[in-house]
Amino acid sequence: MKRVVSVSLGSARRDHRVQVELLGEPFEIARRGTDGDFDRAVGLLKELDGKVDAIGLGGIDVFLFVRQKRFAIQDGLRLMESVKITPVVDGSGLKNTLEREVVRILARETNLIKKGTKVLMVSSVDRFGMAEALSELGCDVTFGDLIFTAGIPYPIKTVEELEEIANKILPEIAKMPFHMIYPTGKKQESQDEAKVQKFAGYYQDAEVIAGDFHLIRRFMPSGLKGQTILTNTTTPDDIGFLKEKGAGTLVTTTPEYEGRSFGTNVMEAALVAVLGKPWAEVTPEDYLDLLERLNFRPRVLNL
Amino acid sequence: MATHEEITESLMVFTENYNKNERLKIMNKDWNRIVVVQATDVESLHTLTLLDGVVSLKEGKSNDPDLTVISDSETLADIFYGDITPTEPYNNGSLRIIGSEDDIIRLDFISLMIWGE
Repeated sequence: MKRVVSVSLGSARRDHRVQVELLGEPFEIARRGTDGDFDRAVGLLKELDGKVDAIGLGGIDVFLFVRQKRFAIQDGLRLMESVKITPVVDGSGLKNTLEREVVRILARETNLIKKGTKVLMVSSVDRFGMAEALSELGCDVTFGDLIFTAGIPYPIKTVEELEEIANKILPEIAKMPFHMIYPTGKKQESQDEAKVQKFAGYYQDAEVIAGDFHLIRRFMPSGLKGQTILTNTTTPDDIGFLKEKGAGTLVTTTPEYEGRSFGTNVMEAALVAVLGKPWAEVTPEDYLDLLERLNFRPRVLNL
Repeated sequence: MATHEEITESLMVFTENYNKNERLKIMNKDWNRIVVVQATDVESLHTLTLLDGVVSLKEGKSNDPDLTVISDSETLADIFYGDITPTEPYNNGSLRIIGSEDDIIRLDFISLMIWGE
């Protein structure tokens, strides 16, 4: 049996372990949170190195892709570099392929996303593939990176402006301590009430709210009117939370195993283990081919 | 070591560049803040006031700042002239900012919007 473990900076309360079969091969997939404790994450990564088939890094990005440019988050790199033997991934490779595909599938096969649909992406530099796909489809997208990361109430409305701003700020933001720009550990279990109130209008105005689930959750107001949530890494508790807030549909980009949709880092780690070749040699075509063979489909859940 | 006059000059350049940037003014319309800039190795205090998206500068300290930016004179002048970004001195401890984490992040974003690549 192949073993894949996701080591996350997120809360240990979300830990989970499942056994699945991928292309006829049994896999044990586990997620282990470290409650935002960076040193604990490094320790766990070192402990697992060489003992499992692939490792995913969760609760943190290592690489952000903005078109052809790649920005490396320094804290993420430090985690990645603590693993010497086992292939380790952060999910960015899969996001860039799978999430583009998910948008196309939803446009083709559902009425959830179409030209003119008002979409709020709470953050998009970590999901540039999804951002581009939504934009190419003609959706009316609000890129909320400045709003929800920096508290600046400035909706970015085009991929071009997103790219311009990202090129200005990402080289430096990538050097900042990760907890300053993203909720880690216990912060993932609470909401930022001041910003929930201040920025509620962006959620209310959207038909689709897309992006990282921890960010979506942290700033989500009550009284939604049946909006669609496009994300992943949701648990049964999260589904209850979304229902309570008034969301109408949940679409997860990664498959559901035992009520959980795992993060892209976990799924990318599993795919790398299936492929059995070094991560650096894996191409987007490898992922696309494998996704098709595995018949990965977005999960659409009416809430 | 930079002089008080050099720090003043760098802050004037920063203020001018900020106020020329219409997009930044729109972004910060909701963010009225008083920022004190204090050097540790020379007598030098300045106050930047953000009001309705516009920044103004005066010499001397303000009594009730939202943010206080503290560093040696050379680092302050380098940051406000745009020769270096605040990230590295902040991370290595040579630049201290007293204020809420949200305000610190926002100030960092503003400086990157002015001087970023």
